[in-house]
Amino acid sequence: MKHIDAAAHTRGESQYVDDMPQPADLLFAAVFSAPVAHGKILQLDIKEALSMDGIIAIYSAKDIPGENQIGPIIQDETLLAEDKVHFIGEPVALVVAKTGELAQKALKKIKLEIEELPVVTDPREAFANGQIIGNSRTFALGDIEGAWNICDVVVEGRCDIAGQEHVYLETQRARAVPLEDRCFRIHSSTQSPYAVQKSSAKILGLSHHKIEVDVQRLGGGFGGKEDQATPWACLVALAAWHTKKSVELVLPRHQDMEMTGKRHPYSSDFKIGLTKNGKILAYEVKHYQNSGATADLSTAVMERTLFHSTNSYFIPNVKIFAACCRTNLPPNTAFRGFGGPQGMFVIESAIAKAAEKLGMSPLEIQYKNLLQENDVLPYGQHVHDARSRKTWDEANKSYKFPAIQKRIAKYNETHFETKKGLAVMPICFGISFTSTFLNQAGALVHVYTDGSVSVSTGGIEMGQGLNTNLAKIAAKAFGINQERVKIESTNTTRIANMSASAASATTDLNGNATLIAVGQILDRLKSLAAKELGLSHKEKIVIENENVLFDGKATGWTWGKLIQTAYLNRVSLSAHGFYATPGIWFDRDKEKGHPFAYHVFGTAILEVTVDCLRGIYDINSVKMVHDLGRPINELVDRGQIEGGLAQGLGWMTLEELKFDEKGKYLSNSLATYKLPDVYFMPDVLEVKLLERIDNPSGPYGAKAVGEPPLMYGIGVFFAIRNAMRAFRPEIEFLFDSPLTPEKVLMQLHADWLDDLTNGRTVTSGKAVKAKKEKVEES
Amino acid sequence: MLCKIIKLNINGSTHETAIREYDVLLDVVRENLNLTGTKRGCDMGTCGCCNVLIDGRARLSCLTMAMECIGKKIVTIEGLKSPIVHPLQRAFAESGGSQCGFCTQGFIMTAKALLDENPDPKREEIEEAISGNMCRCTGYIKIVDAIENVAKLQKNGKGSN
Repeated sequence: MKHIDAAAHTRGESQYVDDMPQPADLLFAAVFSAPVAHGKILQLDIKEALSMDGIIAIYSAKDIPGENQIGPIIQDETLLAEDKVHFIGEPVALVVAKTGELAQKALKKIKLEIEELPVVTDPREAFANGQIIGNSRTFALGDIEGAWNICDVVVEGRCDIAGQEHVYLETQRARAVPLEDRCFRIHSSTQSPYAVQKSSAKILGLSHHKIEVDVQRLGGGFGGKEDQATPWACLVALAAWHTKKSVELVLPRHQDMEMTGKRHPYSSDFKIGLTKNGKILAYEVKHYQNSGATADLSTAVMERTLFHSTNSYFIPNVKIFAACCRTNLPPNTAFRGFGGPQGMFVIESAIAKAAEKLGMSPLEIQYKNLLQENDVLPYGQHVHDARSRKTWDEANKSYKFPAIQKRIAKYNETHFETKKGLAVMPICFGISFTSTFLNQAGALVHVYTDGSVSVSTGGIEMGQGLNTNLAKIAAKAFGINQERVKIESTNTTRIANMSASAASATTDLNGNATLIAVGQILDRLKSLAAKELGLSHKEKIVIENENVLFDGKATGWTWGKLIQTAYLNRVSLSAHGFYATPGIWFDRDKEKGHPFAYHVFGTAILEVTVDCLRGIYDINSVKMVHDLGRPINELVDRGQIEGGLAQGLGWMTLEELKFDEKGKYLSNSLATYKLPDVYFMPDVLEVKLLERIDNPSGPYGAKAVGEPPLMYGIGVFFAIRNAMRAFRPEIEFLFDSPLTPEKVLMQLHADWLDDLTNGRTVTSGKAVKAKKEKVEES
Repeated sequence: MLCKIIKLNINGSTHETAIREYDVLLDVVRENLNLTGTKRGCDMGTCGCCNVLIDGRARLSCLTMAMECIGKKIVTIEGLKSPIVHPLQRAFAESGGSQCGFCTQGFIMTAKALLDENPDPKREEIEEAISGNMCRCTGYIKIVDAIENVAKLQKNGKGSN
């Protein structure tokens, strides 16, 4: 079934926040932000800007009627800076003008006098200074200290993992509309309407019920609008509060890129110990997360790193340490994978390095240590329905790893300039918010007297196909045609206290809530039908294809007749369903529990060709076996797999965030930040779904799909690195992502480049030349 | 700066609108004419979300001066649907080539220009045509599939404008 919104998208009819009809007196806002990464505000001079034509007002922290605080977990983030600024792009003042263009112009006339303070951009430096957010945490299993002694081989290393810009194509935006009695409606491009409601109420000093947040759809989110859509919504609410007019704010792309946080960069140290046969006995890792200037969701992101630091492997002795390090960069935030991918990158690096030391294929170590049924993870949860080996075996059967390895070895023997590399990337990703209380959702379902159905949930449609899934779930549960079902906008007056659409769990949570609401209405309808038709067993009544059946036989009643009769008999045709994921818990004092409803498994094999004289590379193929349980909608899910993979591949290769030492963001446009384009995608992409097995936690047996496929992308780093090793086996290449073509070249030819830049005659090229001749001879 | 009143031929009808000499077409179609199907993704010609057809060729409306469009035929996504849904629109919806939808119209306008000029493009030619359009959701494969499907349909005489 196709995406429910797609028809409107393709006609250009879908409305995003700034496409909605504009009230005649709509005002426009622009954000003045900090020009330095750390400093004391001495004076904010808005006089000249305020005197410009068309400028209505300029607001700063002192104009906030309520509390100037928007921190979602830890209360350390102001909406508008007060006495200090902590990163370049931190909002300081809000200009409100008759047009967006005038508002932008006025920004240039605002003067900010600042006394600069020292800037820290490196997480290890911040950690050494004691600049950490919340508490550092450690997950432990077994006896790590005792285990090192029984290992045949122990290797250590360091990883530096870069962040990633979300590049939702619709930048951050919001419009606030004043309603009667000092109430406000906010149209926001947010993944978390309740976060917007809570924060804007706090900013304005109002109760939550005075703020209505409505979200039709997002032009992409990827985590970037989970928490960081909130400030822009609060700012327009503030302006609407003062001006009593509707106010809209759309961040231009470069401002969006400068002012918002990204995926967290990590710097990590690992130590891994194995037997000579490749069995991993011990693994220790220290993660230094670059959190940026405020907490945002960093502590939660770090928690997911802790949970995913051993990826798909069972390791009996483990110690995982992580700390959120406060730096003078924009507050880093949620991004598809939410800290999991960084943890997984480090264990894969450790395995790669161990394989080199043991002279063994990394595939052998990976396979030997894959999770099996009932294995315990470092956080105490035992894996149920473990499909790590199943997906690996299935992938091996379908794609024949040994044959690929052989072909690549042969290619590399016979080619000098180009080398091929291969990597296998297994994934195991836990599904549920790791803060157990967030795993709740509501749905409101109405059936109208013509038999049409309205479904509201707390979930956000951001392109991932949630609404398509919900429509299918509701229609299937009622036994009616899907055309009868409409999925409404997400609105805080219909669904209260919703969790963000995040953690891959949106369809699981909201789909299950919808099933509960539908179930309540169905139960009433069946009771009525049993009574009216004189049938004794209402449980034998089902609705199929809009017909009411009893014991599998037609009763003569249709859906239309059933609804009409229910209405005339004063049976309620509305219900609110509430779902809370059962059986999950986590004890943060002991760092043990059962935080995930289930895990998603999969295995991908990736092949690349690297031009070792130029550093450029092609991704030849990505082939995977992925576990979707019993998918609700395969077309939508495959779209998630392909899109998630593209983001993972981009994160590992092209997408490079550049900051200078003063904390200035240098890659602040799509001209300087390289995004995957159509040429970037693998030449061959094969996605096989594991046999369809019902997942008891998912609606109709489905498994979550949003985040896991991104992590297959990690494999491309190791595939490229393996190709580089085929060219220069003597070099220990860094675990430094993204592995851009520039970095490939610099690492392959560091000796040459060093000679060249120092004006020396190139001598170390001789070895390469000799090798080339040898190849030509053969 | 003073405004000028100009006439623009958009989607087959003439629109009279007041512009400033430095206004770009994107602002004029969105703000003056309320044709909001054309999206603003970057304002600097790097994403392709604002593509429209100008005299049949795909152009970035964020980098096109409105003044330059006088006397030219402009088609936006809103002009594609009448009288019936264009095969590209159907194909993008059916193939999964549209997720969040923000880039979709830009791809469709680019693809329309390609197919009008080259009704039977190779896959590589499709890739070349859309290489300036960014999509963050789909990974492009289903987009290329959609365009290829339309080309095939048109070749077999089943598509129509």
